[in-house]
Amino acid sequence: MSSLKPFSKLPGLNTANILLVESEEQFQQSLADALVEETSVTVNVRLAKSLPLPLENEESRPRIDLVVFIINLTSELSFQSADASLKYLDPGYFLGKVCFLVTNARNASVPTERLDTVRKLAASLHCPLLFAEDQTPDGVTNATERLLTILKVAAGLVPLATALYLSNLTQCTVPLDIDQPSFD
Amino acid sequence: MAAKQNASGSAESDQSSLAEQQTSRSFNRSVRVAEKERRKTEAEDPFVPALKYFSDVEAGTPLHGNDEFERNLVLVEKVAYARGLSPEAISIMLEFAMSLRMGTSPCVRILKCLIPATVVPQEAVVRAVVWLGVGKIPISTQILFIKWVLTVFDMIDSKEQLRAVYGFIFSFVTEENLCPFICHLLYLLTRKESVRVFRVRKLLELQSKLGRQPFLLHLLSLYKVFCPELVTLSISSRMRSGFRNHNSPWKSSLIAVQKRNGSLLASSDSLPLTIKDKPNSRKRKYGHLELPVLNSLVNKQAQAESPFSRKLVPLVQLSSFTQLLENIHRIELPAQMGSLLGSSLALQYLDCVQDESALLRLNFWLGYALHEEFLFCGDGRASQNSEEALQFLDKLLSTQHFLQEAFSSSEAFLYKFLSVWDGSLLRPQILSLLSNIPVVPSSQIGRLLFEPLMQLFFTSSLFFKCGLMECLNNMLLKWLTWHSVYALEDDLDISLNSHTSINMTLSGFKDSVMELVHFVGRLASVGLQLEGSHSLLLSFILDFYETVCDTFLKYGLPLVVMPPPGVFYPALFSPDPISVDRLAFIMYRYKVNLTSAKSQEKVTEQAFHISRQTFREFNNYVVIMVNCLWNSKMFHPGMGVQLGEELLLKSNVPQYSTSFDLVHHPAFLSYAVDFHLRCWPGRKDVDLDSIKHSKPWSWYLEYLYSQGYDGLKQFVPAL
Repeated sequence: MSSLKPFSKLPGLNTANILLVESEEQFQQSLADALVEETSVTVNVRLAKSLPLPLENEESRPRIDLVVFIINLTSELSFQSADASLKYLDPGYFLGKVCFLVTNARNASVPTERLDTVRKLAASLHCPLLFAEDQTPDGVTNATERLLTILKVAAGLVPLATALYLSNLTQCTVPLDIDQPSFD
Repeated sequence: MAAKQNASGSAESDQSSLAEQQTSRSFNRSVRVAEKERRKTEAEDPFVPALKYFSDVEAGTPLHGNDEFERNLVLVEKVAYARGLSPEAISIMLEFAMSLRMGTSPCVRILKCLIPATVVPQEAVVRAVVWLGVGKIPISTQILFIKWVLTVFDMIDSKEQLRAVYGFIFSFVTEENLCPFICHLLYLLTRKESVRVFRVRKLLELQSKLGRQPFLLHLLSLYKVFCPELVTLSISSRMRSGFRNHNSPWKSSLIAVQKRNGSLLASSDSLPLTIKDKPNSRKRKYGHLELPVLNSLVNKQAQAESPFSRKLVPLVQLSSFTQLLENIHRIELPAQMGSLLGSSLALQYLDCVQDESALLRLNFWLGYALHEEFLFCGDGRASQNSEEALQFLDKLLSTQHFLQEAFSSSEAFLYKFLSVWDGSLLRPQILSLLSNIPVVPSSQIGRLLFEPLMQLFFTSSLFFKCGLMECLNNMLLKWLTWHSVYALEDDLDISLNSHTSINMTLSGFKDSVMELVHFVGRLASVGLQLEGSHSLLLSFILDFYETVCDTFLKYGLPLVVMPPPGVFYPALFSPDPISVDRLAFIMYRYKVNLTSAKSQEKVTEQAFHISRQTFREFNNYVVIMVNCLWNSKMFHPGMGVQLGEELLLKSNVPQYSTSFDLVHHPAFLSYAVDFHLRCWPGRKDVDLDSIKHSKPWSWYLEYLYSQGYDGLKQFVPAL
């Protein structure tokens, strides 16, 4: 079992590499298409269904700057797969180079416990948790922009900011029960 | 009617409802006439005999192998899903289903296809409710029926008779499985007269048995609004909003039918107060976000018959403000509170009467609508009706602007929505709604607002950052305005929102404002750092500080918070002269505020105390600005920015200490060159240092002022 390491390879000049992990392979592709449109830096997108990544491409694979787990909240499997993949990441990644992207969070068929579980997972790993609207073109564009914002920092392309610094600001927190704020 | 309220036996109420059916038929004649027109065209339709079959079929007819039944039912279903059923068809089918003439099995199937095309006749509903009492219908079917009533509630043509059997409906709350749905129905039907001691007692008894169930609490909270003396229970003002009785299958069919009919029907009536002219008001219960049309639920004839009831004037009959004033003591609120949002007269009424129950109902409706449409969407619905969502939120916003305050349900919704927001969906509307929220207590503000906003801010684009800055600026402006309006002079308590029960002390309010200003300071410092001091973002941040620097003089709030260095220095060293000028203006306003606060402190002795730290920070900033822009002592020891001597020498910048004075500052360099050319037109080589001599220097300042740099113009003489 090999784990993905954040600093085992040298970075490319003005290049950022992102790995999108999604068990259902639905949102991945449209996101990847939008991500490579970025012109200010060269963005390489790698897609995976789950981790670990196969050994045979190990050599040619560039250094991965950001690992994104896409979780579709309507499917329990999607979460389980992401959860199982986490252990194939080097602990160094959790210093700001992992983020979770959740889709379908506003869907009526999602049990509230599942969102809470994802939140708890992201919070325990100190990772940011983003929400995305994968159904609309605007939603995809926006999700792309947000991932690029994080990716640029994680790849060291933003002066004065590091991945750890940003993740410290954006990491997920587990909210207490918002339903009944005790105002009175 | 009084007799009927106590009716428990089915026979008695059956009879009376039959009698009512007869009388109320005439009330709905206009509806019938319209229907007759349609019926003519459907004369040859096989649908008519199908209905006749269901109205005439004998009790006990076997169901198995009954092809005739099957054929007719399929026909009805087809019509129902395509066009919806006419009021008569609803009556016939409902009567057939609930009477169990052919057993329980067709009942569910028929209930599922009862999709009204226009209205649901109330006598049909009353009859069906009566059938519930017979007690042969399986409990799951009873639930289905109540759910159906809830779904089509707004389409029931009048609710008077349903209200009359309030007691009868109430008797079903003891049925544990039915209770949540019955409570919801009762919530919609309750009027002041319906609140009785024995009912309150019953509900409390149930609560002790079932626990603090939200449906019971909701009903009790409504009872409490009507009769506070009867319900002593303390109920949190911000409960989980809404009964969660989602009726998806009906809703989606209803949307389909309504949409189809909506395009076919021409507008026939246009009320001056309504926002929509469409005759078939689409209501939110069917997953629609269009506001319902203001309808009257008072039946005129029924009213004439009962001289006991106070004469009520429905809002829909009023067309001018004068009429509103004349009738303000006897306004009948519409059945659908959502329709109030569309009518300016109704809003005026709400605003001046401060009717708690109306606001509670409106909040309930709104909370329900917002939750269902934005937090519990069906598949793909979000993309489907985004246009409607947009209009709905715009309407809500204009209402809030009109009332100049937010609804507590929209506030509760926002907190939840922020935690699952992607940052782009309906961004302008969400940010505007957010800027309207009333003051959040400082103990809650971090968790409710700052945490989700911080995550969104730092992961989103520059434009989102600017948008959020603007939103927070508006929020602060509103809070300060509320303060200046509601603060009572002698005692420092302020009641911020007349409609909610949050009363805040001045120090509590100050804490919240301070939290907000510090939070924006943090966002701004780090945001500028991440975005490379982008001048657009800087401009929005300076907007915010233009509000902050004037809190004392403009809004009478004894609070002065200085900007953090992360905002001050990027503005001071900005390559864009406008930012520097605005910073000068802001510092000037700080100075005016601080001096007036200080003088007031001396006069009144007790007023308040601005910490020495604030004065120290201000003085420090001013010294830095003056040293930097005038005295060319950029890197002198004791300044905010310090660099080692060797390092500065290494940089090979000649005269580094002058590099940010008004002549050499990157923002003003072009002005200096232009001034030089005008001042000494003959000179071949440009020597900017010659501007520093006292005479040309004052000319140069005059020249800068003439270019519109009013901030500098005010800042410089004030020193």
